[in-house]
This record gives sequence, C-alpha cells and structure tokens, in this order.
Amino acid sequence: MPVEINCCERQAHMDRVQGTIFDIQRFALHDGPGIRTTVFLKGCPLRCIWCHNPESQDFNPQLSFDRAKCTDCFRCVKACPAGAHKVVDGRHVADHGRCCLSAKCVEACPNGALKIIGRKQSVREVMDVVIRDIAYYNNSGGGMTISGGEPMSQFRFTLELLKAAKEKGIHTCLDTSGYAPGDLFERVLPYTDLFLYDYKATDDKEHLRLTGVSNRLILDNLDLLYREGASIILRCPLVKGINDTDEHFMGIAEIDRKYPGLAGIELMAYHNMGHEKYERIGRKPEMEMLPTTDEATKESWLERLKAFGCGKAIIG
Amino acid sequence: MAIGKLTRELHFTEVYKKYKDEHIAIREAMCLKAQFPGFLGGIEDNDLFAGRLDLPAVGITPDEWGPTSFGYYCIEQRLIAEIEDPSLDEDYRQAVKDMLDFWREENTSTKLRRAFPEKMARELYTDDWMNQSGISFPLYRLCGGYINFDKLLQIGIPGLYEEVERYRQKAEREGGDVKFYEGARIALDVFVDTCLHFSNMAFEMAETARTKERAEELRLMGTTLKKITKEKPAHLWEAIQLMWLYSLVADVRNLGRMDVYLGDFYVNDLETGALTEEDALRYLESLWQLIADRNTRVHGRVIIGGKGRRNEENADKFALLAMEATRRVLEVEPQLSLRFYEGMNPALFAKALDVIGEGRTYPILYNDDVNIKAVEEAFGFTTETAEQYVPFGCGEYIIDHQSFGTPSGVINLLKALEVTMHNGIDPMTGRKMGLALGRFEDFETFDELFEAYKKQVEYFVEIMADHEELEYKIAGETAPFLYMSMLYDDCLERGKGMFSGGVRYLGGTLETYGNTNTADSLTAIKKLVYDEKVISKERLLAALDADFEGYEDIRQLLLDAPKYGNDDDTADEMLLKVHNHVCNAVRDQRHRTSLHSYLVVIINNSANTLMGHQTSASADGRRSGLYMNNGNAPMSGMDKNGITAMLNSIVKPSTHIHAGAVQNMKFSREMFTTRRAELEALLKTYFQNGGAQAMITVVNRNDLERAMEEPEKYHHIFVRVGGFSARFVELGRDVQLDILNRTLY
Repeated sequence: MPVEINCCERQAHMDRVQGTIFDIQRFALHDGPGIRTTVFLKGCPLRCIWCHNPESQDFNPQLSFDRAKCTDCFRCVKACPAGAHKVVDGRHVADHGRCCLSAKCVEACPNGALKIIGRKQSVREVMDVVIRDIAYYNNSGGGMTISGGEPMSQFRFTLELLKAAKEKGIHTCLDTSGYAPGDLFERVLPYTDLFLYDYKATDDKEHLRLTGVSNRLILDNLDLLYREGASIILRCPLVKGINDTDEHFMGIAEIDRKYPGLAGIELMAYHNMGHEKYERIGRKPEMEMLPTTDEATKESWLERLKAFGCGKAIIG
Repeated sequence: MAIGKLTRELHFTEVYKKYKDEHIAIREAMCLKAQFPGFLGGIEDNDLFAGRLDLPAVGITPDEWGPTSFGYYCIEQRLIAEIEDPSLDEDYRQAVKDMLDFWREENTSTKLRRAFPEKMARELYTDDWMNQSGISFPLYRLCGGYINFDKLLQIGIPGLYEEVERYRQKAEREGGDVKFYEGARIALDVFVDTCLHFSNMAFEMAETARTKERAEELRLMGTTLKKITKEKPAHLWEAIQLMWLYSLVADVRNLGRMDVYLGDFYVNDLETGALTEEDALRYLESLWQLIADRNTRVHGRVIIGGKGRRNEENADKFALLAMEATRRVLEVEPQLSLRFYEGMNPALFAKALDVIGEGRTYPILYNDDVNIKAVEEAFGFTTETAEQYVPFGCGEYIIDHQSFGTPSGVINLLKALEVTMHNGIDPMTGRKMGLALGRFEDFETFDELFEAYKKQVEYFVEIMADHEELEYKIAGETAPFLYMSMLYDDCLERGKGMFSGGVRYLGGTLETYGNTNTADSLTAIKKLVYDEKVISKERLLAALDADFEGYEDIRQLLLDAPKYGNDDDTADEMLLKVHNHVCNAVRDQRHRTSLHSYLVVIINNSANTLMGHQTSASADGRRSGLYMNNGNAPMSGMDKNGITAMLNSIVKPSTHIHAGAVQNMKFSREMFTTRRAELEALLKTYFQNGGAQAMITVVNRNDLERAMEEPEKYHHIFVRVGGFSARFVELGRDVQLDILNRTLY
C-alpha cells in the first residue's frame, strides 16, 4: 500500500539524511517561546565580526583547545598521529591546521582541555533527543529550534528535521540569517511555525563590511516570507559603537512600518562571553573584546527606536 | 564542694531501679514522672507557648539522642565529663560513676547489641557508621512516629482519660493487661502535672513581665495550660499548646497533618472574631520558632495539603498561613511539606513556589497523584489508607498514626560492590567482610560480576531485616512508650504497647546509599571492561586501588562513560537494574520476617558524605573518600544534558517498590523571578511524568562560592542537604562542596 511505502521511505530518510551539528541544548529558554530544544548546526556563510559562536562558522568538525585546563602533561603530543600538538618552550601548543580529527588527543587528555567540535548526526539521531522533552514543550508552549551556524546552509537536513518535528506535532522555530536562496525558504515555510530572522545592518555596504555578505538577498527573503504569511520575529544583534547607528535604527523602524504583522522585534545585545572561544579553535577574533552591553545602553536603544516610531522592540 | 548538673538523672536512675522488675508500663510511667516536667526547659522571652526541651543525659525516648541512645538511654560523654570534673563533690561524682556503670549494662542499645546473633554481630562489627568502614550499619532508634494529633485535639486530655479508663475497666472485666492502662493513666497524670507546672510558671512570670502586653500573653498562657487539663481545646492557641507540649513529652518529632488538625480551630476563631489572620500568624511564628529551637535536625515535619483531608477548605486556609509563617521565620525547621494533587486549590502550589523562590527550601513538594498509588503498591494498603501517607524525617513514608517504619539500618551499595570486586575484603581496611564470591579477574562476563554483587547485597539485606525485627522485639520488651501508644491506632484497643503488638502496621525501612555511583560504576565496567575491552580487569583494579594515581587516562575513560541523570538509556537502565534489585530484595523480607513491610528508602542525611569518606575510588571515576550521590539524584555535576534530561532520568526508577526517595534540585534565583512561567511548566511536566517529590534549593549564581570564602556575610543562604535543610555556612566543607558541585539550573 502506498502509505506504507511512504512511511518506510520516510524512516529510511531519517537515517540517511545527516547534518553536521555542534550542540543540542535542552531546556533552551532563549531561542523562541517556552521550553525548547535547540539544535545547533555547524557552518555559516556569514562572518559577523561580533560572532559569539565562532566554532559554528566552519562547516567541518574542528579541534578546540582550552589552554586554561591544560597542565602541560603532553599526553596529547604522544597520542596525536598528525603532529598537531607540540611542545614549545616547555609548554603545549596546538597547531590546529595539522589536526586530522582522529580525536586521539581528546581521549588522552586527563583534564578535558581538548575537544572535537562538530559531529555528523542523522535526522533520527537528533529527533531521538528532541522527542524526549515533548511533554515539556506541550506544557510551556515550547518546541524545537534549529539554529546555527546557518541552518539553511544544510538545507536538506534542516528540511527533514523540520518535517520530522511537525510529524510529532512539535512546534518549530528556525533561527536564520536569511542568507539562502528564496525558493529554499519557500520549501521550509510549511514546516516552520516561527522564524527568528536576523537583521544586522541597514546600509548594504555596512552589512557587507560587518558580516561579509550583502543584505539584499536577506531583505528579499524577509519580504517573501512575510508575504507568504510566515510568523516572524525580527532579531537584531546590536553592538555599541559598531551598528547602533541612527541609520540602522531608522531601518529597523522602517521594517516595522512595512511589516506591521511581525510577531516581534528583539534587540540582541552584544555580550563578550564568546571572545575566548576564538583562541580555542586557533583563530584571532575579528574585533577587539568590548564590554558586555550595560542596562542603560539597552534602555537607550529602546528609547531611540521609539523616537523613530518603533515601539514594538524589546530586549531579547 | 559543688554538686553537678545531673541530680535529675540520679533521681531518674533511682526510680528506674526501684521499678526495674515491675510491669514495663508501670516502670515507664514512674520514669516519666521522674523525667517530667523536670527535664523540660522554661518559658523564654518571646514564647507564646510553653514547652522547650532540656535534654537529659539519662532518660527514656522512643527516638534517639545520638548514635546509640534510644529507649532507656545514657549519653555517656556527659556523665564522664562530670566524673572527671575535680571541682565537683566527691560523693556526687561517685554517684554519677555508679550511675554510668549501671546504665552501661542496662541501656536499651546495649541490650539490643547483646542480643545480636553471631553472624549479625560479625558483619555489623561496629556502630560507628560515621567514622568506620562497612557495608551495613545498625542505627539504634525508633523514629518517625506520627501520633493522632487530630484525635488528641478533638477529645482533649479529659477524653483521653475516659478512653483509658473505659479500656481499663474492660480489661478488668474481661481479662487483659490492666497494668498497661494503669501506666497510661499515670502518664496522663504526669502530663497534667506538666501543664500545671508551666501554668504556674507563666502566671509567676506575668507578675514581673516587662510590658503590659507580655504580662497579658503570659496570663493567657497560664489560663490555657490550666484549661487544657480539664477541657478539650476550643481555640487555636489552646490547640497548639496542647499538641506542642504533648509532642515534647511523647518525644514525637514530626508533627503530622497540621492543616487538618488545626484548620477548623483557625477558621472558627477567624469567623467568631476571636483572632485576626495576623494574630494567628503570630501564634504560628512562635510555634515555628519553638520547633526550630527543638533542633531535631532531620525531623520537625509539618505536613499540609493533599488528598484525604476531612476538612479540605479549612485546611487549605491553614496551609496558606503555614507557608507564610515559613516565609517569615528564617529557620531550617519545621520541614514544611506540601502534598498536592491535580485539582487541589491552585493557590497553595502558587504560594509554595513563592516561598521556595525566596530561597527558603520549603515547602518540600510531594505529588499525591504518584505517591498514593506508590504507597498502595509498596506497602499493600487500600487507597483510603494510602491517602494518609506522611513523609517523616528525611522522607520515609508511613501512614499517619497507623503504621511505624523506623529506618534503623543503612547499606552502602557502593561499598558492597567494592568488597565484591575485592573478593570479600574491604580494601579500605584490609578487613574480611561479607561474602567472598570469587576474584573480579575471574568473572568472565559482566553478568557474573553483577550476580556476585547482588548476592553480596542480599546477604546484608537479610541481616538488616533480622536486625530491624530484633530491635522491635527488644523495644517491645523494654517499654510500651505510653504517650505514643495512647495516640497510635489499635494500641489502646488491644491493650498493648507500640512494639508489643499494639501498632496496626509495624514495618521497617533500610536506607540505601551510593545507588547512583554503583549503577554508574557498573555501566562503566560493562562498557569498558566487558563490551569494548579497552580496560583490563587487572588495570581497573590497580587504578581503583591507587585512587587513579598514575592512571589518569583510565579515570578519564571512566568519567566519560554514560552517567545516570542525562536521559541516557544505557546509564539509566543500569540504575533501574540496581534499583529494582535492592528494592525488591528488601521488600521480600516481609516474607522472611514478622515485619508488615520492609522497604528501601533512598533519602539522605549527609550520610552520602560521611560514608563516602570510607569508600574507595569507584569505577564511575569517583575518587577515594569523595562523597557519594545524594538520594535518587545523579552524582553531583554528572548531569550535563540540561534539567529536562535530568528530570526524565529521575522519574524512571519505580516508586512502587520503596518507601520514599528524595530529589534535590538546585535552581538559580533568576529561574524563579524572570522565568516563572517556564519554571512552572517544568515542574508541572516533571510531576505529570511521574515525579514523586522535589526539594528545591534556590541560590544566586556564585553565592555559594562567595559564601565559602566569606561565611560571615552569607548567613542567610539556606540549602537542602538531603533530608534536611541547613544554613550553607554552617555545613562542613565537604558537604558544602557536594552542594556546590550540584548542577545549578
């Protein structure tokens, strides 16, 4: 019977379709309404200079070394088949470029200083975790959120994950930069209950400078999703002195006017907790470490937005 | 030369000697007469009720005053201190020395230990569970009685007299233990004398009171104390005075379903205008302070809410008042415990979260929708009986004034595994212990190891069940414990003391420790030694014996193995195997012994820390001497998948085969303030999923670290240790570390 065949196909699909994820966080309270499980996909086409999850940018698994936990026992040096761990001046130094992802060093390290970030998982493996908290979603109005990285860059996996969640009656959120072909957004739309949609800079050149890409596609996709009736919360990462300009605030207010049916506008204030992660994966931060945004600044942002006619925004 | 502090004890001893060979009820009654009111403390400045404890060094109690002091007890150190004090009168010191010699032979725990059969004496080689290494230890106590306070307040002392007299006459007519009733009558006389003693004290104090208001309070106290000897209580303050003083002379430390027995008094007084809510709250705050000062540490339970309350509406009103008192009185007792069920007045649960959110650790939450069924199954009770379950002490369930179930033994499951892996030798001491079931190196399969572990546990479980039965036998021969018997179902009817055939359901409980560490160790051994063979048995034993010194790589592998508390099926299934095994092995003892029930309790009273000191490194990666897990919780800090995963794990072990398990949870304050809706959904789901209980500590992030550095500034932080709460700064460093290392959600 066709139904059964479809069913079997779906089952096989769930095993076959894989994605690269770097974390699954349960009891997530900041990625959409209620109690949620957030699946973080690895890999992003943007390079936002303030990114607080730099380990989410590369599409491949990578080595992370936490110098603070290292006792220079050099067990990793012996264990590594690729020579990625060296002794320099009596101290352990990691050469991330040489890492072959054997994970031998991770096993050898007695202090948990070494990790491989990112793993391949099938839709089924992820769903096995997600479904465990269904009762919590139902009582809190929560569900599953796919975040990243950029989930749309692993389109197939994201689509299948969304479908699988909807089959279980789970509320779905997609946390996206909006940077992906429009037709792909049209295809995830039926399975996405809420978009958490980033808006990072209004001036296109500024957008290119701060994120590495133009915002035209992003704005087109926003328009497309809105017209198709998607439920959207606009999320605006703000860094004091970087993109909290009048022009950008006017841009946010303009979007609010143009799309009065937005489910919300949230200002995501910069915090510096991601700064040290750059060093762990062998990179230099794209910008200097700034202080975490203080409450007064957040208040002033809301005031300024109000002055430009946008009263909907809240601190996310 | 001066006479010391123990003249009351000398008198008590003389009385005991005089009546030594009398009927045990008469002997006890005469001893009670020697004990009260002399052994009670005076009325203090802010007390609105009379009755404080002034603990005697020699006396009689159904409970315990220290590790081996129960029944007719003697706290030796206090006697020795007097004997060794050269400033005291020579004859007096000699008299105290004679008293010490007498009680060393005659005290109840010595009699109990002397009655141990050979195997029991060998395996329970020491009573010092806090400092010695062992698998099982006896505890000397008859604790956790819940008397019928409701009946006491409804019929009053005159009613109790009448009932005793009626049964006495019946016994005389039809043949029965008349002396038992005579003893009960004398005990009531002692109680009346005690009331009048305090009544006089209150009137005298009123004469010199500093303010007019205080004088008035004291005169009311004096009037009340006189009145309750002649009439049943009519007002809230009379009811509280009666129940409180009776609980002291009975040495019953858990105070029952207070909203039921005080609810009607409270509401009546409100309706007639005899009291305002604020007045009632003042009375309750004073009672709360008296309970706190009694300092039972692990008892002081006050139960509110739940099914099976005859006066639900009034009781709910009182329950709200009780929670407000707990919010206001910053103490670690009473252990206010809220029973709740789907459909109960939601104001109670909401108030509970408010109070917990302020960091008070109370009320402790008990889910009737799970627990009533569990009690029915585990004990074999009807629903109607099970509805009257009450958690006492650290969290053991019994049936209010119908059943008794003292936890008079402990078993350290992790030590049982350790000894099994060392073929009947305790590696901590080199001592032979338990069964030698073969060398770990020779166990070809994981199942062989697990079978050996199970045999070891069962061997000790049988000893502990026999011990519990023996304790009751000795207790029954020693005293009827008259105050308790008079208000425990069936004792007066049957004309028998609590432990001589009086109490309706006489059961027992066994405290298990290290359950999670044992399961996690077995998970790691199965995976790494037997399934994947990445660690040899020899190397594992060597690593454990060396406390991982030089075997850090092995420890890392062990730590990385799946752990209970992460919603991980492999780890959780092993926990279930360990749980089901020990719970059923213990529950089956009712067929071997005369006990109505014998059940596991998975509770804690910092024994996880103390017994952890005596437990070597374990295959879950835990270092030698470190605390073990607490109650049914994951090992501290090993739950890493978020709170929903932790909660999903802890609802898996069956609640239908034991008599209570405790669940500690540690939340940041912001969860309660900024995320209240999600928090409520979280708890609701946990309870719907089968969560039986929750003890919630709320602290600010980093406060505990700061409190360890600057304790003087953090006196206000309350934490839930195991079955009791404490001021964090007053705990020992290792207990502090256990709590600090628990995952903060």
